[in-house]
Amino acid sequence: MLLRKMWRDLMKNKTQFISIFLMSFLGMLVFVGLDAESSGAADSVESYYKEYNLCDLWVMGAGFSDDDARMASRIKGVKNVEKRLALTGTAEKYDNAYMYVNYMDSNDINSLMLYEGEPFDPEKDGIWLEEWFARTNNIKVGDQFSVKVDSTRTEGIVRGIVDAPDYVYFVSEADVMYPNYTKCGAAFMSNVMYPDPKNIVYNQLLIDVYDEYSDDESVNVIKRKIENKFDRDDMAVTDRDQNLSYATFDAEVRQHKAMGIMFAVVFLAIALLGIVTTMARVTAGQRTQIGTMKALGFSKASITFHYVSYGFIISALGCISGSVVGSIVMPAWILGMFRGSYLVPDLHGTVTGLDIAATALAIFVSTLVSFLSCRKELKDPPAITLKPPAPKKVRHSGLEKSRFWLMLSFSTQWNIRDVLRNKLRSLMGILGVMGCAMLLICGFGCFDSIKGLMDKMYGELMTAGNKILLSSDADADYAYDLAVRYKGQMIEETSVEFVSDKVKKSGSATILDRGNFVHLQDRKLKPLKLNENGIAMTSKMAGLLGLKEGDRVRWHLVGDDKWQYSRIEQIYRDPSIQGITMKRKVFEDMEYTFKPTSVLTNMSVDPSLVDEDEVSSVLNIEGMKASFAETMEILNAMVYVMVIAAVLLGVVVLYNLGVLSFVEKTREMATLKVLGFNSAKIRRILQKQNLWLTVIGIAAGLWAGWGMLYVICTTVSDTLDMFPILYFPTYVWSIGGTFLVSIGVNFMFSGKVKSIDMVDALKGVE
Amino acid sequence: MSEEKKTLIEFQDVCKKYVQGEHEFYALKDASLTIDEGEMVVILGPSGAGKSTLLNLLGGMDSATSGHIWFDGEDLTAFSDNKLTKYRAENVGVVFQFYNLIPTLTAYENVALMKDIKNDTTDPKEALASVGLADHMHQFPSQMSGGEQQRTSIARALAKNPRLLLCDEPTGALDTDTGKEVLKLLQDMSRTKKRTVVMVTHNSFFADIADTVIRVKNGGIRSVVHNESPKDADEVNW
Repeated sequence: MLLRKMWRDLMKNKTQFISIFLMSFLGMLVFVGLDAESSGAADSVESYYKEYNLCDLWVMGAGFSDDDARMASRIKGVKNVEKRLALTGTAEKYDNAYMYVNYMDSNDINSLMLYEGEPFDPEKDGIWLEEWFARTNNIKVGDQFSVKVDSTRTEGIVRGIVDAPDYVYFVSEADVMYPNYTKCGAAFMSNVMYPDPKNIVYNQLLIDVYDEYSDDESVNVIKRKIENKFDRDDMAVTDRDQNLSYATFDAEVRQHKAMGIMFAVVFLAIALLGIVTTMARVTAGQRTQIGTMKALGFSKASITFHYVSYGFIISALGCISGSVVGSIVMPAWILGMFRGSYLVPDLHGTVTGLDIAATALAIFVSTLVSFLSCRKELKDPPAITLKPPAPKKVRHSGLEKSRFWLMLSFSTQWNIRDVLRNKLRSLMGILGVMGCAMLLICGFGCFDSIKGLMDKMYGELMTAGNKILLSSDADADYAYDLAVRYKGQMIEETSVEFVSDKVKKSGSATILDRGNFVHLQDRKLKPLKLNENGIAMTSKMAGLLGLKEGDRVRWHLVGDDKWQYSRIEQIYRDPSIQGITMKRKVFEDMEYTFKPTSVLTNMSVDPSLVDEDEVSSVLNIEGMKASFAETMEILNAMVYVMVIAAVLLGVVVLYNLGVLSFVEKTREMATLKVLGFNSAKIRRILQKQNLWLTVIGIAAGLWAGWGMLYVICTTVSDTLDMFPILYFPTYVWSIGGTFLVSIGVNFMFSGKVKSIDMVDALKGVE
Repeated sequence: MSEEKKTLIEFQDVCKKYVQGEHEFYALKDASLTIDEGEMVVILGPSGAGKSTLLNLLGGMDSATSGHIWFDGEDLTAFSDNKLTKYRAENVGVVFQFYNLIPTLTAYENVALMKDIKNDTTDPKEALASVGLADHMHQFPSQMSGGEQQRTSIARALAKNPRLLLCDEPTGALDTDTGKEVLKLLQDMSRTKKRTVVMVTHNSFFADIADTVIRVKNGGIRSVVHNESPKDADEVNW
């Protein structure tokens, strides 16, 4: 019978219980969903790394011989060493796609995972191509493929379509910000394919350590041993965390985990508040019933159990269904979007022990909270509980004693009292509105910040209307002629590796010839004039390296073994390209040859120019913006989640709150009616309180939303230095949207004021 | 009246003290009385006299400050909370002034609820039929009249087959005719089924139907009067 009672009580308070259900559901959906997704991604990639033996250390340098490899393999803990020549080139037939070219004489480390064709064989000629690139460019096994490195062309038959564990994430130098695996691929081949196989000079050693040495500390020890043993200036040893492919995926996974926790905390906090207020109300409303049950002889334990089961059942239903749905839907959805960014075969979600523990914990806490919130009514003996509750001790707040209080209108006084005496309920309302405003601000802010980033990149920092990208066929003279013809500025953009005491990072170097199309900004985004005699570094890169203005940094151009040790003369800020910028003269003083990679111009460019061998493409400013926007797909999806969550959160919390306060105030409102207040007046009184709470919630939400946006912008990736930006319309939309939700929900209740029956409401309680 | 009277309840110098801030006051002071099994007892007194306190103590819903309360030879004042709960569940049926039905359960279910706390309960249908509610079994309290609700509440109390039936102003919220029906039902319980019925009221007309009338005032027992020939419930008028 008590079960039936419970069912009917649940039905009677269904709005509140549904909102508790929804909050638990959403909280667990997002948390378990993101956790299953990120753990699954981590698992998938981990087993991929293991199965295909991702190396633990990379040794990069000017040239490594067999002796070097042997020397490295003798270090304690090292299991295997492989030599590799890693170069970059272009696939001319495929729109000059950027190619990573790897020559190797064996493939036990960073082994290729074969999709199609025959396995890699160091004795065999032919080319093994990365799967995404091959598929999207419609290249099949057996096709002829050629890649040009510097001025030599290597041609061969495609033997296999593969993926490699060290090529999970990679970008070309042209679009450093986001991968585009159709225009940037990886090719693997035996050293027999090298134009001059006898004289091949390897530039990488891949180090694989024994499993028992694979913890961070042991790897670090081995790393230092290698550095000491070789003791060469032209060499750098990097571990997995310094590897772009490994680190980027790792960071992405961690970001999703953090995001999941954030969402879960917001939703579960609200679910808990919902349980507290609802259970307190249910038990308070059933005070005499509790007394009756006690008088009838029900034990305290069974009554407690009865009420606690409400919270338990609802939160269990919500949490478990949320977890189940989340663990199925979220990984599929997000990992689906991963596929264009990360090349990991068989990405799947994994439900971890943590997910199950978190679900159990959420249910436990909800149950505990419902116990605590109904304990009050249960502890008194039945003789007391049978009586109506003693009226709440009414204490006059300091405010009520002041003279100021007397100047307030009745409705203001009434509302202030109501808010102060229902602190928990008011807090829940503020939190709900705050969450709604916060998610809206943050969501729309992400769009704003991306737009702001683009406007800054293409318009403030780079003011040319067109960028002519030169192919590797173009020499300095050709670029110079083009610059003269279009009144343009020649620049060289190239990859660089930086090493500080702490870390090693790859970035880019931009070398500027005369012209006025590239501008720098300092940390405070004020224009900065580039030093004539030294290098300037981006603040993000300096931060990553732990360096500041005046410090020295060791760096070298990728593909050039000569190391530089330069003083950082200036720090500037760049949203998308992290590295250094210098004048051509500074570059040439270091005895490098200036080799322009593009020409910037404001003149319109002859369309036929693209047909020339020396030009790979011409980008106009709008095209660059559009292609950049396309790359933000995952972020966009997050924004949609936020906006949907915001509206849901707002509606559910406020509706729940509305039901709560409306039911509690029915008698008061009926009394007011009897006294002669008309419905409109009562409605205005109710709306006043709602308005206050909404305004406070929005104010808090703006602040919290900004904080959340700041965190997202600054952690989004190593290469992006995004600044949180909120444009005016975002404020309008977010504040307006929150108000709309708040007022809309409130309106549903104030409409009910008319229908309150004075006589009915003033009759006995039950 | 039956000859071999057996004492069911005995109060020995029972006190109930309430403390409110610095104020102490006795709701019941040195009350002593005995109630025999199968008796119909009416406790009379103005409001605030200590009637309800007496009833609460009888029903194990509250504990005495001092003194002893014997129920069938056992001292209720020495009972733990658990034992008191068990006592209520097994021995006591309560009829409240405002019926106190569970609003979300039907009449049938309200009575059937007793199965959850006691093994040998009367079949709910039977219990409801015995109070004349066979036709109202599946109505919710809100769909029934006051008299019907009170009869449901009596059915609920009876379903447990309690040795002691406690009634707190059972007719207080009812009109005269319905009140009479309820009174009759209670009297029948005592007369035909030999249940001990203790009824608290401020209505002195009820004194006529009782076997024993206990008058209470200012927390003390004023008088205990045995009625040699109690009236039938339908003969009373108020």
